[in-house]
Amino acid sequence: MKRYLATASLAGLIAATPAFAHYGMIIPDDPMISQEDGRSVALIMSFSHPFEMDGMMLDTPIAFSVTHEGTTTDLLGELESATVMDDQGYTLEYGLDRPGTYIFAMEPQPYWEPAEDAFIIHYTKTYVTAYGDDEGWDTELGLKTEIIPLSKPFGLWEHNVFQGIVKMDGEPVPYAEVEVEFFNDGAGATVPDELMITQTVKADADGVFTYAPPSDGWWGFAALNTADYTLPQDGEDKAVELGAVIWVHFEEWTGQ
Amino acid sequence: MIRSFALASLFAAAPIAAAAHQLTVFASVDCEVVLVEAKFSNGNAVQQADVRILDGQNTLLTTLPIGQDGTLSIPLDSVDHSEGLVIEVDTGSHHNYWIVTPDDIARNCQS
Repeated sequence: MKRYLATASLAGLIAATPAFAHYGMIIPDDPMISQEDGRSVALIMSFSHPFEMDGMMLDTPIAFSVTHEGTTTDLLGELESATVMDDQGYTLEYGLDRPGTYIFAMEPQPYWEPAEDAFIIHYTKTYVTAYGDDEGWDTELGLKTEIIPLSKPFGLWEHNVFQGIVKMDGEPVPYAEVEVEFFNDGAGATVPDELMITQTVKADADGVFTYAPPSDGWWGFAALNTADYTLPQDGEDKAVELGAVIWVHFEEWTGQ
Repeated sequence: MIRSFALASLFAAAPIAAAAHQLTVFASVDCEVVLVEAKFSNGNAVQQADVRILDGQNTLLTTLPIGQDGTLSIPLDSVDHSEGLVIEVDTGSHHNYWIVTPDDIARNCQS
C-alpha cells in the first residue's frame, strides 16, 4: 500500500534518511529576462535538499562567475550573505547590460558529509537569457565536470524533454548517473514513495541523458561521479563526489 | 530593476513584437549616442530596415535606414529623449522594438 507523504513531514525524516540528494543551487528570479522585466536578474544561491526545501550550510564559494559572449567575469566579491531555506546562502543582483545568454556558475568549497564518508563538490550553473536573444544557450564553460545542454536550458514547456551531455575533464562520461530533483518551492508536491523524491536516469554510451519533468518549475540535474583524487579528513584520505549540476526551468503549458 | 513611472507608459505605447523568425532589437546608450543593433535569431545582422525613433509619447521623431552591419548610431542631442525613446526596427517582413528609458540614459551617463 502506497503512502503519500507530505513534504512538510519529510524534512523531519532527513536525519533518519541520509540518502536524500544534495544539490548546489543557483536560482534566478526569472530565467528569461525581457526588457519589460527590467535590466537585472536576482539570484539565490544555496546548498540544499530542494524537494524537501531543507537548506544546508553553503560556505563562501571558491568561485562564482558569469559568462556572456565568451567572457567570464568573477563575481565572488559581489555575493551577499543571506539565509536561504533556514541556512547559510547567498544572493546577487546582477545587471544585464546586453542581450544574450548569461551563464552563472559556482564552485563551492568541499562539503564534508559524514553520512557518506565523503566530500561533495557540486559545480553548479544556471543559464539566463536576456532581452529575447538566446545566443550562447549551449555554451560549455570548461568546468571540472559539467552538463552541456543539448536542449535549450530555458524556454522549455513542462513535459518537454531536457537533454544534456555529462562531461568530466572535457570528455563525455558514458552511462553517467544523473539525479533529477524538483525545487518544491511553494508547489506542495508530495510523493507516493521516498524513492520518487530523486529521480534517476543514466546517460548513454556518449554521455547523453534525457528527462521529461511532470510539471513546470525548477528542476535540478546532477551528474555524480567520484573524483580521481581524495581530500584529507581527520587524518584519512576521503573520497570526493563531484557533481555537475544544472538548473532548468520548465514553463507551464498555456494551451487547453 | 527599473522603477521609472515613464516605463509603464512607454511599454504601453510600444508595438507587439513579431512572433516568428524572431528579430532581436537592442539599443545601448551613453551620454552622446544611442546605438541600435538588430539581428535575426540565427545571429545574422539585419542589413536592410527602417529604424523609427519615437519619443516617450509615441510621437514619431525621425526614420532612418539601418547600416549594413545591422547597427545605427543616433546622436542623443538630435532627439527629444526626456521621456525616453522607442526604437522600432522594421525590415518589411519582421519588426521589433527596444525601449530606451530615462533610467537607461541616467544610468549610463555619469556626467
